[in-house]
Amino acid sequence: MELRVIDKESTELSIEIAGEDHTFMNVLKGALLELDTVQAATYDLNPEQSGGQTDPILTIKTDEAIDPLDVLGEAARNVQQKSENFRDAFQAAS
Amino acid sequence: MTENFEVQFIDRDERTARFLVRGVSPAFANGLRRAIIADVPTLSIDSVRIIENSSVMFDEQISLRLGLVPLTTPPNEFEEGDIVTLALDVEGPETAYSGDLRSDHELVEPADTNIPIIELKYPETADSPQRLELEADAVMGRGRDHAKNQGGVAVGYRHLQTVVVEDDADEYSDSEPEILRGVIEERAAEHAVATDGTGEPENGALVATETFDNDLSKRYPDKEVSVRDVDDAFVFHVESDGSMSVDELVTNAADSLAERATELEQAVQL
Amino acid sequence: MSYKCSRCKRDVELDEYGGVRCPYCGHRVLLKERSRNIKEIDVQ
Repeated sequence: MELRVIDKESTELSIEIAGEDHTFMNVLKGALLELDTVQAATYDLNPEQSGGQTDPILTIKTDEAIDPLDVLGEAARNVQQKSENFRDAFQAAS
Repeated sequence: MTENFEVQFIDRDERTARFLVRGVSPAFANGLRRAIIADVPTLSIDSVRIIENSSVMFDEQISLRLGLVPLTTPPNEFEEGDIVTLALDVEGPETAYSGDLRSDHELVEPADTNIPIIELKYPETADSPQRLELEADAVMGRGRDHAKNQGGVAVGYRHLQTVVVEDDADEYSDSEPEILRGVIEERAAEHAVATDGTGEPENGALVATETFDNDLSKRYPDKEVSVRDVDDAFVFHVESDGSMSVDELVTNAADSLAERATELEQAVQL
Repeated sequence: MSYKCSRCKRDVELDEYGGVRCPYCGHRVLLKERSRNIKEIDVQ
């Protein structure tokens, strides 16, 4: 996973996350939107055949008070937590 | 974040399982489904060294067939890119099956032994039988790169559904079947009749629709019903190709999501 | 180049001058045998 910041302002961030696809990006976007400090979050991903930019670009808009990079870190932490909680719940049931 | 998942198995056997997960968002459910299909590495044949092939199929065709044979992938034994060597040597008149593959690792073998590779003949006019002898390298790879590496087949989910009894059905109208597939959570037990092996209807019970022929009018006779989705509750159906158990498939998929999230978090902090 | 005669089944060596003909039985149909080298194939 390689990150490349495309655009960064105090409440806005565009970042390329190389090597990922819908599998992770949509989960991450979902986790971002669950945060109260996030006003908007989306990602753009072009298909292989398009020939151009095929790595996803994540865009986040946050409230005034918070750095979007911190928000991204928090969302990633939540995804990790969720996955681990799910795995534990699954193992407990099986 | 206080995320509470609740997992409940509905049915399972050796290669398939159906389970309910509560407290899961649609985004996460889909991420998990995609991870099971494309991100759990399995072993499958990736390159073949043909020593002799006098069969009627081209080397490339035979190699493709070998690639699609699911191989058992023992847990925590291999990493992506690891290689296991297999060999096959069959002479006609006989059919070469996947079960004829011999591997150099005791835990790696074809998940199914009865997949025909090619039928070898010994034609009367020929002076030697057709023969297939080869060596193959199986590589740990992911489903996103090639479908032969998919550990999960027929992986999907549906919303958990529930039935609301609106009213009595019109007394003189013809009763029409009301088809529904999936799993319902019983919330109107007083109107339900016991169906195929599910016992007395009880509120909160999970009932697979097959038990009443997928026809709600058999479960709730003479009632007018409507169906609703239960929020954040999904019934997953996972089928393994035999390379690993369903449990491993699902836990590995969850781990792969967690791993990527950890990686992202660390990358952001730098 | 090595071939096999389709009539007498003997191995035949051809050069560029002799034409296509089995030197043992005169048959003109020769078969190219598969090479004994190991062939490596990528599964795609």
